Formats: sequence, structure tokens, C-alpha cells
Amino acid sequence: MAAGDCDAVSIELGHFALILACAIAAVSALGGLLFWRNGQRLAQVLAQASILQFVLVAVAFLAVVQAFVTSDFSLKLAVDNSHSLKPLIFKISGVWGNHEGSLLLWILILVLFGALVAAFGRRLPADLLNLVLGAQSLLVAAFGGFTLFTSNPFARMSPPPLEGTDLNPILQDIGLAIHPPLLYAGYVGFSICFSFAMAALISGRIDQAWARWVRPWTMLSWIFLTLGIAMGSYWAYYELGWGGWWFWDPVENASFMPWLAGTALLHSALVMEKRNALKIWTIFLSIITFSLSLLGTFLVRSGILTSVHTFASDPTRGLVILTMLAVLIGGAFLLFATRASTLRQGGLFAPISREGALILNNLFLATAVGAILVGTLYPLLLDALAGTTISVGAPFFNLTFGALMAPLLLVLPFGPLLPWKRADLVAAGQRLVGAAGLAIFLTILVSALGGISISLAPLGLLLGFWVTFGAFAELIERGRIGRIPVGESVRRLVGLPRTIWSTALGHMGLGLTVLGIVSVTAWETELVTTLNPGETTELSGYTLAFDSFEQIPGPNYMADTGHFTVTAPGGGTKQLAAERRTYVASGMPTTEAAIETYGLSQFYLQLGEPLDDTHVVRIWYKPYILLIWIGALVMAGAGVLSLTDRRLRVGAPQRAAKPAMEPAE
Amino acid sequence: MLVEKSKRLGPMIFWLIAIAVTAIACAALLYAGRGRMVNVSAAETADANSQFRLVLAGIDADLAAGKIGAEEAVGAKGELAREMLRAKAEAAPQSTREMGRSTLFVGLGLVAALALGLYAFLGSPNLPAQPLAGRADVAAQTMDLGSAIARIEERLTTDPNDLRGWTVLAPALLEVGRFAEAANAYGRIIDLSEPTAQLLTDRAEALLLAADGAGSEEAMGLLRTAADMDPNHVQSRLYLGAELTRMGQYEDAIRFWREALDLAQGNEPWLTAARQGLAVAENDGFDTSAQDQAEMIRGMVGSLSTRLYADGGTVEEWSQLVRSYIVLGDLPNAQTAYDGAVAAYPAAFDRGELDSMALAAGLKLNGAEQ
Repeated sequence: MAAGDCDAVSIELGHFALILACAIAAVSALGGLLFWRNGQRLAQVLAQASILQFVLVAVAFLAVVQAFVTSDFSLKLAVDNSHSLKPLIFKISGVWGNHEGSLLLWILILVLFGALVAAFGRRLPADLLNLVLGAQSLLVAAFGGFTLFTSNPFARMSPPPLEGTDLNPILQDIGLAIHPPLLYAGYVGFSICFSFAMAALISGRIDQAWARWVRPWTMLSWIFLTLGIAMGSYWAYYELGWGGWWFWDPVENASFMPWLAGTALLHSALVMEKRNALKIWTIFLSIITFSLSLLGTFLVRSGILTSVHTFASDPTRGLVILTMLAVLIGGAFLLFATRASTLRQGGLFAPISREGALILNNLFLATAVGAILVGTLYPLLLDALAGTTISVGAPFFNLTFGALMAPLLLVLPFGPLLPWKRADLVAAGQRLVGAAGLAIFLTILVSALGGISISLAPLGLLLGFWVTFGAFAELIERGRIGRIPVGESVRRLVGLPRTIWSTALGHMGLGLTVLGIVSVTAWETELVTTLNPGETTELSGYTLAFDSFEQIPGPNYMADTGHFTVTAPGGGTKQLAAERRTYVASGMPTTEAAIETYGLSQFYLQLGEPLDDTHVVRIWYKPYILLIWIGALVMAGAGVLSLTDRRLRVGAPQRAAKPAMEPAE
Repeated sequence: MLVEKSKRLGPMIFWLIAIAVTAIACAALLYAGRGRMVNVSAAETADANSQFRLVLAGIDADLAAGKIGAEEAVGAKGELAREMLRAKAEAAPQSTREMGRSTLFVGLGLVAALALGLYAFLGSPNLPAQPLAGRADVAAQTMDLGSAIARIEERLTTDPNDLRGWTVLAPALLEVGRFAEAANAYGRIIDLSEPTAQLLTDRAEALLLAADGAGSEEAMGLLRTAADMDPNHVQSRLYLGAELTRMGQYEDAIRFWREALDLAQGNEPWLTAARQGLAVAENDGFDTSAQDQAEMIRGMVGSLSTRLYADGGTVEEWSQLVRSYIVLGDLPNAQTAYDGAVAAYPAAFDRGELDSMALAAGLKLNGAEQ
């Protein structure tokens, strides 16, 4: 009986849970930010409130999921974004595949991170915890309020329509189901860094304990963002059928900018943690990174800037978003401008030192973010304000971004070898002689074998090899490899702190990605030709035979299917099938590319539009393309390794903590 | 039976649950505020140096395990000592003022009031969840339409030139809200048969619905062709009038509104909307019906009252006059008009509904006073 009643009101219960969570968040924000000096008891209440927020928002989210799964079309969101005939997994992913639902997911992750801080932050000083949870609650209240008043996922329909309207088979893809939550976890995770930065600015206190706390959150968010971007890139590669893996389009840039800023933040927090320096940089990057995440989720994705029409059709929503972003980001920077100068200066260091190298790193990354920001927003703003359409394409981004990254990659291997405070560049250089020699040798070898197709390719290769091998220099140094018996070297290496391994692996991953990018850009081959069944063609030593062509009707589409046989230069043959589907009701074509992997390289085949009595076939050979994503995976793995380091498990020191006064009872 | 019961009890049960949830949340917060945590174990009351002791122990352990050399250990300990001194110097005098109980109660009260108040404003406590499986009455019908669409689609994949299939499919797609696909289906019908004004208009309608209020140039072209093709086709003209008005091209809009109204027999359901659309277009987009309603009523009321006071009229006309003044909020004039009506129709029976309307608006029933 009771369960039946709960079911009957589940949607409204979810609605109420979301509202209650927002109410708790609003009051927590007020309490945390106004009375943060009030010590331990407030901290306990705020920690409890943060956990309650998470439980309540989770209930709200599950209520929406249940409405989608049971095809409850009294929920307007389900009508617009679901259909009773959808497979279960796409009913569930349909929850966040739209504006309202994705906001709800965004808030769920926001409160999850707040609850994690509350649960694991017992050792934080009470006033810091009050401020952090207060700032986090402010974000929850702001975005929760926005959701409830302008984009309520719990809007109802009475009487409910007979069927939902969204059964678009093209969007039913597992990649689309997983990709947004990963990205969101990354975006939203940086909110914790933002809240910590706000806390530091308001209290005027920032120290190594602070940095020790911020770094794991930065790392966690950065890992999610890295995986999310890599996955999005691979999805675009195999699904869009054009063989491209990065398009510099606004949505991609929107996720890439927080990643670059987050990378800089990661390194800054490291300096703060170890040396108590770069405080202002760290605070600044915390604000920037989360601001870019907000920009990514709300400005670019919501289409406010990309389409003037969207703005015009719902001006309230757009204006509220703009106002909210302006207040949050503007307020944060105002606080930064007025309070940053009061932060006590940290450890001093010479220009040539680990700290100096990391400042250089920050400068290059921040400039790259600036360049991409301009390239992304300028055309959108121009279109929105002046109605002029210009296009800032890949050449702009490749040129500016490449020019900024090349010097960064050049100095990168030196960084981990430089001691803190004061360093000797020559000494570090001597340890890198081996890596440099190896990189130069391999570059010459590969260029000789592969031919120089574009003039900058050898430089790119050199940088890629240099970063990849340079990453190991510190390991070789620490393990005294070659100078002491092998067994002892291994023992030393195993005993090294995991952060040293993590640094080496992370930088190696970057080198691998660079190598993959350079290789595909310089040595990719492409062939567009007409082909009939029975004919063969050749590309980069691979022979492609068009065996047969048939039309296979699918449930609601007609598939033109080409069967091919690829013969590798070594002699092995493989069967491939590429499809071109035409959905009957919409008349829309989609392509299903055939991809065959040879080692780290891929052979990519796409069946083009049919001509009179022949077929257009596009073929690409993409040498070492998998290195791009393998590099990203290695980078993310390095992040996970760093998170398991003992140093992070110890936690932050607790200072001058007073025992909570228990009232006599 | 059970469903009926829970439907009736829905709002009440819902509010009970909502209040219970709020009470539990507040209780948990109150409990935490008393120094205990429900989910989070209480903050450890470790002294200031416990953290440093942990790190120190870590360094010693590493040294013992041979992970770091003696030299590095001494360096690390030195660094730790410096950090400790810094922390000591920095430790600001903590505020001894703990949050009072009354502050906590004010906060909890605020949470409860905010949550319940906001929900009362935003929520729909009387709407039960209605999963499709539980909606036996309508489910069968829908599933039939859905599976019928799937069946026709399947047949059309093998025989894309089946005109009858497309003719059945197109309105069905429109019905279930798959507008873009419906537009494509109408396009196929047009390709496979003779384009008629109605078919072109149907396709344009689907395109406009798919564009979700953003307009469609292709639809406008189709509608113009349809209107040119058949001078007696009303629907295309209505769509043209509405779209052109929305786009601000009032001269064209006026032409199509007028043409549509000229074709009317006089009892069509769209007449009011078309007249209003024409009025909007004629006022250059200024919606007189909404913006200037009061002014219009005032003008109308003026002439009506002049006529009624001079020549008299039916009780319905008097009622209309009184109602108009009430709508305008002009109660003195409403009273005057009501007095006039009572004078003209002294018998209460003749005045019918007028009395109760006047009473409800707070006018005085002079007849009763007399």
C-alpha cells in the first residue's frame, strides 16, 4: 500500500526533493559564507547539509529516470525526449540528452562533489570547511534555482499524451550515452577548486594544507575531462564517417579550454603544495578553469551564441544564464582583484628552477587558452551582435596552438629534472643528452623512411620523441640505471614515490599523443575513387577489393552494404563491410564506416553516395592514429596513479582545532 | 479500486510525505548541530601537531624501508619543521563564538518554509505518476499506432514507391509528433502523385511544426505555391497570414488574411483567430486585442451607454454594460448603469442573472432598498 502510494507520487516526490535540496543549499550558502568564523558546529551542520543535498538530488534524478523507464508521459521531459519503443539504455540516456535533464545531471554531480568534501573533509580546519561548503552550496542554489524556474525537468502534462516524440535512431548511440556524464564529471569537479579558491580569498588564508586539499580534486576532475575529451574525439572519428578526430568546433573547444587551464592548475597546485609558492597563480587558475567549464556547459552547448534564433525564442532563459555567469564569474574575479594582494607571499625561488619552469608552463597554457577562447567566441559574438558570419577555422587554431605548444614541448622534459628553488640548466641538460640523441636519431630515421610530406613534420616528430623519451630521464636518474646493478636499480625504481612515476607517465602520454597527431597529419593517405564490385584499388601498399554490393532492408532503414577485402602489404587479408543507411521516414542518410586496425595504424573505409551504376568509395590510411587516444589514456592513467600516492591519503593537517564544546545535558 | 483510492488521496498523502521528508532533513541537521553526525563521523579532536607527527612517522618509515636516503630524510624533516613553525605563526586566534542554537533553528525554519512554499508554487501535488503500462485505456491505441508506423516503415524500406504506404504514414507521423519525418513523407507523396494545394500545405505544416516556431523558408515557398495553385484554398492562406504576421511582413499578411476571410462561409472555428490576426497585421504587429483591450472596451461601452440611457434596450444589453464597467474596474459607473437597468426592469425576475453578477461585484441592490 505504502509502496504503491510512493510510486503514484514518485515524480512529484522527486520534484519536492530537488526543491528541498535547493532550499537547504540556499540556507547553507547563507550560513557558510556569512558565519564561517562560527567554528566547528556550523561545519558539522554544513557537512550534514551537503550530504543531504546529494541524497535529495539523487532521489530527484532517480525519479526522472524512473519516469523515462516506465514511459510516464505525464512528465513533459519524457514526452519530448523519450518514446515507449526505445531500448532501455537509450531511455535512460535520454534523461540527460537534453537541456533540462543535463542541468539535473550537472547539479547531481555538483552535490556529489560537495558531499565528498563533506565526507572526507573531517580534518579540514572548520572555517575553511565552512567557506568551501558555503561556496559549493551557493553554486547548487544558483543552478538549482535556474533549473527550477526556467528549465524545470519536472514540468507535467495533464492529460498525458499517448506517446513520446523522440525516436531518432541516429542519436541512439552508446557513445552519446556515456560521453556527457564523463565530461560533466570533469567540468563540475573543478567547482570544488573554485569553492576552495573562494574560501582562500574570503578568509585571506592559503597554505600548503590548502593546496594538498585542492590537488586531488583537480586531478580527479582532470582525469574525467581527459577521458571525456578522448572519448568524444574517438566517437566523432568512428561515427561521423569522415575520419577526422578533432574539428576545433565550439563544443570541442569548450571542453578543451578547461582541460588546458586545468592542466596548468594541476601544476600550480603542485608548486603550492611543495613550495608554498605560486599562490596567486593557483587561485587565478582555479577561478579560470571553473569559469571556462561554466562557459563550456552553458554558453556554447545551450546554443545561445551559436544561434540567434534560440536566444530570441526563449530570451528569459538566455538572459538568466548570462546574468548568472556574469555574477558568478565577475564576482569571483572581483574578489580576486580585491583580495589577491593580501595573500602572503610564499617561498622564494630563482628564475631557473622547478618553480620557474612551471610558471613558464602556466604562461604557455594560459596563452593557448586565450587564443582558443578568442577563436571560439569571436565569430559567435560577431554573429550574435552584428549579424556578420565569419568562420575561424582549423588553420587559425592549428597555427596559433601549434606555435604555442612547440616551445612548451621543447622545455617540458627539463621541468621534472630541475630542483626546487635554484637549478642548474646545464646539469639538467646533461641528463637529457641521451633522450635528445635518441629523439634526433629516430626523427631522421622515420623521416628517411616515411618521406617528408610537410615541412614541419620532422620538427613535430622531434618534439614528440623528445617529450616521450625525456619523460624517462628522471626515472633513469633516480634509479641510477646503468650505474648500479640492475637488481638494485629495479628495487630503487619500485620504491620511488608514485608521483614520480605519475609525472613520467603523464608526460610520456603527452609525447605519444603528439607523435600520433604528427604521424596522422603528415603521413595520412587518402583516396576517393569510384569502384564497382569486382574491381580493386590500392592505397599505401594495401590492396582493396570490392567483393560485392547488396541492399539490405533494416527495421526502418535501407542499408547499402559494400563488402570489401583488404590485403595488407604483409599478405594478410581481412573482410570489411561498410554501410550507408537511408532512414525511410526521414530520408536521412548515415554512414557506418568500416575500420580495420593494423597495429597502431588504421585503415578507414567509407561508402559514399551511389552514382549512376557505380559507387564512390573513400579510403584513408591513418598511420599510428591510435597513439592519439592511447596517449590520452596513459595521461589519465598517470593521474589515477598520482591519486593513489601515499601523500594524498594522509590528508591535510588540522590546525588549532578546538574540541567541539558539548553542551552539558 | 486501489488506484482510485490513491488517486483521491494523492495530494494529501503527498503533502504528508513532503512534510515528513522535510522534518527528517531538519532533524538530521539539528542532530549534526548538536555535535554529532549521522552519516559523517564527528570531527576528530586531534591536537594541532597530529598531522605533522603522521608525516614524521611516514618519513621515518620510508627511511627504515630504504625508500629514501639518510640525507633526504634529514632534508624532509627540516622542511617539515619549517612548515610546522609557519603553521604555528599563522594560526589565527580562532573565534570562540560557536553558532547558537537559535541561529540553527532560524536556518531550519527557513529551509522548511522555502521548500514547502516553493513546492506549493511550482509543484503539481494532485498529479499522480502515470506509467504507460498502467494506462490500459489508452495504451492499446498508442501501441497500435506505433507498431503500425513501424510496420509501414518496414514495408516502405523494400518498396519506397508505395504511394498508399506513404499516404497512411505521413499523417500518422504527424500524429505522434515526428514532424520532420512527416514532412519527408509528404514530400514523397508529392513526388509520387500530383502535387495538390492540400498536399503542399500538409508538407508545409509538418515543416513549420518541425521548425518549432522558428519558421521555414521552404514551407513559405510551398504555401505560396499552394495558394497560387488553388484560389479557393483556405488553409494555406491562413498559414501564410499567420507566418507573415509573425515575420513582420504585414502588407502580405493582410492580403492573405483578407483572402481567407473572404472565402469563409461564416461559421468556421478559425474565424475569430483570423479576424484577430488581421487586426494585428493591420496595426503593424500591435496586438490590439491584448494591448488595447481596455481602450476598445471603453469606446464600446461609451456608445452602448449613450444608446441605452437615451432609447433603452434589452436586459442583456444592460447586463453587458454593467459587466463592462466591472471589467474596467469602474464601479461608480457600474452602479449607475445597474441603477439604470433596475429602473428599466423593476421586476427582479426580468433582470435574471444581472442581480447576482452585480452583487458579486459589490454593487448595491437598490431594488432591495426601495
